[in-house]
Amino acid sequence: MKIRRLSAAVAVAASGALLFSACTSPAGNDDPDAGETTATSAAAEGPCKADLGDITTAEGEIKASVEDEFLGYNSNTPETYSTYNSAVTDRLFSGFYYFGTDGTICTDEAYGTYEAVSEDPLQVEYTLNDEAVWSDGTPVSYADYLLDWAAQAITEDGKVTDDASETPLFNHISGLTLGDYVPEGPQADAADAKTFTYDYERVYADWKILIGSAFPAHVVAEQAGVSTEELVTAIQELDMTVLEKAAKFWNEGWLSQPGEVPDPAITPVTGQYNFKADGWEAGQYITLEANPEYWGTPAATNELTLRFVAADAQIQALANGDLDVIQPNGPTVDTVTQLEQLGDAVTVDTNQNLTWEHLDFNFGSGVFADSLEAREAFALCVPRQKIVDDLIKPIAPDAVMMNAREVFPFQESYDDVVSESYDGRYDEVDLEAAKEKFAAAGLKEGEKVRIGYAAPNPRRAAEVEAIKSSCDQVGFDIVDSADPEFFDKALPNGDYEVALFAWAGSGQIASGQNIYATGFPQNYGKYSDETVDEAWDTLASTTDEAVHAEQTVIIEKQLWDTLFGIPLFAHPGVIAYSSSLSNVQNTATQSGVFWNAEQWSRAS
Amino acid sequence: MLKFILRRIGASALVLLGASLLMFFLTINSGDPLKDLRESNVQNKQQLMDQRSALLRLDDSPWERYWDWLSGVGGCFTGNCDLGVTINGVDVLGLTQQAATSTLRLITVATLLAIVVGIALGILTAIRQYSGFDYSITFSAFLFFSLPVFWAATLLKEFAAIQYNNWIAVGQYAPWTIVIVAILAGFLLQAVLGGTTRRRLITAAATFAFVTVMLFVFNALDWWRNPMFGIAGVLVVSAAAGVLVAALVVGLRNRRALYAALTTAVVGTVAYVAFAPMLVNDPSWLLLAVLFVVAIVVSVAIGAAWGGYARKQVMLVTGITGLITSIMVVADILIAHWASFLSIKSRPISTIGSQTPNFTGGFWEQVLDMGTQILLPTILLTLVSVATHSRYTRSSMLETLNQDYVRTARSKGLSEREVIVKHAFRNALIPITTIVAFDFAALIGGAVITEQVFGWKGMGALFQDGLNAVDPAPVMAFFLVTGVAAVLMNLVADIAYAALDPRIRR
Repeated sequence: MKIRRLSAAVAVAASGALLFSACTSPAGNDDPDAGETTATSAAAEGPCKADLGDITTAEGEIKASVEDEFLGYNSNTPETYSTYNSAVTDRLFSGFYYFGTDGTICTDEAYGTYEAVSEDPLQVEYTLNDEAVWSDGTPVSYADYLLDWAAQAITEDGKVTDDASETPLFNHISGLTLGDYVPEGPQADAADAKTFTYDYERVYADWKILIGSAFPAHVVAEQAGVSTEELVTAIQELDMTVLEKAAKFWNEGWLSQPGEVPDPAITPVTGQYNFKADGWEAGQYITLEANPEYWGTPAATNELTLRFVAADAQIQALANGDLDVIQPNGPTVDTVTQLEQLGDAVTVDTNQNLTWEHLDFNFGSGVFADSLEAREAFALCVPRQKIVDDLIKPIAPDAVMMNAREVFPFQESYDDVVSESYDGRYDEVDLEAAKEKFAAAGLKEGEKVRIGYAAPNPRRAAEVEAIKSSCDQVGFDIVDSADPEFFDKALPNGDYEVALFAWAGSGQIASGQNIYATGFPQNYGKYSDETVDEAWDTLASTTDEAVHAEQTVIIEKQLWDTLFGIPLFAHPGVIAYSSSLSNVQNTATQSGVFWNAEQWSRAS
Repeated sequence: MLKFILRRIGASALVLLGASLLMFFLTINSGDPLKDLRESNVQNKQQLMDQRSALLRLDDSPWERYWDWLSGVGGCFTGNCDLGVTINGVDVLGLTQQAATSTLRLITVATLLAIVVGIALGILTAIRQYSGFDYSITFSAFLFFSLPVFWAATLLKEFAAIQYNNWIAVGQYAPWTIVIVAILAGFLLQAVLGGTTRRRLITAAATFAFVTVMLFVFNALDWWRNPMFGIAGVLVVSAAAGVLVAALVVGLRNRRALYAALTTAVVGTVAYVAFAPMLVNDPSWLLLAVLFVVAIVVSVAIGAAWGGYARKQVMLVTGITGLITSIMVVADILIAHWASFLSIKSRPISTIGSQTPNFTGGFWEQVLDMGTQILLPTILLTLVSVATHSRYTRSSMLETLNQDYVRTARSKGLSEREVIVKHAFRNALIPITTIVAFDFAALIGGAVITEQVFGWKGMGALFQDGLNAVDPAPVMAFFLVTGVAAVLMNLVADIAYAALDPRIRR
């Protein structure tokens, strides 16, 4: 009897384990403009949000899907940082910038403006709109941004960070990077100033996206038992008695128990939407309503409901009108086929997003480490076009083979960068040339090449299958070494010849230095090239966009010539929405379809 | 008996302890909790990994972590529960309460329905063993039992939700649909009722005619969009149910039982008329509960008053009749509100969620909303459980029917009703108790897929999300609830068994 019950528990666990190998790939989306012609819609010019003109908020509700529960007002802690949480919180906060549909940095001038007043040393001046105000009436001001800086600069010991490696006082997802670049913090005349400047200790290429939205300093001050001015002084003087209380509230005070709408007194907003009283049902949905205090172009529709629905239930829910907008995570061919069967009532939009798949060689050890010819032989036999045609085009028909690493095919500069850095030599499989290179490298028939990737991943398994059927003809012996612990074990230990994985584009200009420059942490394959290192140094130490473009070409060309690796394709994304909606637009960035949710409206 | 219970509880506690240890170690070793961070390319990756390691205490010994979890659970006995926090920093105790509530709401109706329908089907198929009816029920039982839930859910959503909602926008049956439905109904009913060929033909023809006429009348009245049932409907159905219950439980020869059942139906309907304004204008769950209790008490009292020599049985008859009448009353009110519900929610059956977001309607519209939201998962869960219940009941009933004492009862000249209801059915129910009790425990943890496809966040989601993130706290909370439920229900089954079967008692 006892044994039976125990085994029942094990069986429950085991059968559960089988079911739960769900996917967690980043959801993202597209570029093209879905310009439509109803009263409140306007075709977007370029990647940024369209100007809807003088609109008023229409009554009604739009229901969209996210796949996980809302966690809290503060999306900037590691516990709460996710695309699903940001789908809600991005609606609550305005910021100085946002990403457009192709990853372009767009500014929100209703909120404020910023410009570099000096390039070297870098000095950036931010000016908030005079009308920018928290929903409780307090103006957005310097104090909010000083707190934002403090949360990314002050260490546990009550000092300003030295090299961003200390334990931070605030539990901020970005760590101490900001404090590392701007040790002095933003400067202004008074706590309620609308203009403030950041003095960078050294030039930072990605200064444009370092400062975005902020949390309400007046709320944090009140919770710490001081006035806003006192909090400002405490930060400037590093007064830990106040800062510890402030950090404690910042870290924990904004976490919510599912279903309990946070107290409006501690969660004022600056965005087009605010929480709706009683609008959150645990595990079911959260409803936002238009923020009446918002000073700029208001939300087009009064209520936005985000329902928590798993990807496989979304399509039928859309067909039944339970949802108006969906973005299924990890779309497959089936997803697209099913959506297309729904007919005219539903509009489907597929795209390529900012996550891109690539094959990287191992320069630390193995057959490709020292032999350019061996790498060339491999690159010549990888059927890149076939992989895109067979695996990606059925989902996103306009998908193309990717020929760059720092720019994406849907971005404006892509054609220029590719034409200057790459002559198309690996576009088509050339088995004869591959065999020549194979022989020139002194390799023998049956040379084992392990392609490592994180299992389970059916698409990557199919990619390896395609590579094997082509490259084995050249003389390689391709081994599919899929491993659930690939990132944990094989990749850091160098137990592979070729690594197959994807990077999620960050929108940063200089983040690639981490991947390609000698000795940097994400340079898993231990690649090292002087030209590339030098170009990255030049790129990262200037804010000049012309130099950025020029150095990008140098880097791309050198990475092709020395064959760091082989880019394959950008991941496909799918959104679908009820055809009665206008202004729903796909985007390539991680914010997903919600990026312009305040513009969605229903044709009446 | 007390010693037996104590011994069982002691043994169960040890089993739970061992299982929790196993579960804890399996969970923390089920994957890499830092996986998503390892694949990330943010600058402060190491810092984030350290932060999460500290949060999940990855560097501490597993024994220490298990002990801390156990002490937190131990706190529950002193009113100081601590089930830890999730990887997202949310308190697990609160999450578990929400998840358990949601799951209980999802499975309660389904379980009750499955028990009633399953046992009824089991008895009927046993009585009509090897008939066409028996074979078709057996076939369907196995079919439903082996259905992949996610697939069946997709079909249900397509036909019972999307297509139905398209249809209800008009709400008219096409003539050929009516004919097909009527033929099916006629065929089914003759199969269940059985008899000579002539009798079967008459049954089928009568059913066919009745259904055809009814459906055309419904069409003409636009009944599906503006349905009504009415006080007359309540009275007729309750009275008919009363007669049926009396016939089954004590037989129609006991006129007192028959009159008692009819009295209950009439009193129930009259009370409905009296309370109708209150029920329609100012309803609440409390009022419903109070009225329900009063209704059952009054019904049983009617039974006691009519009683006579079979007082206990008559009280049972009136009690059940009272219950059915109460259900009819609520059904009538709900049906009357259907039209206004449709005007608020034009596509009534949803494919996801436990309620319509921000639904604005009166009390009865909200009840309808919850009902339509829970409809599809309930159908699915019921179909799957009915299979087991009906099969077990059937075999148990067949075994009993072949016993010597049943033959003796028949040879004494008892009516078939008495043989089946009094002698066979009661004894056949004994083994079913165990299955029913355990089934309920299993359903609490077992509705994982149903929850997921219908967008409910219950115990299943708690377990699944926890395991995906290699986060032990929610997984262990899931284990705690389901494990304790399983142990308790098993205990209840054992005790019930002893109470029902005198042979077990020592």
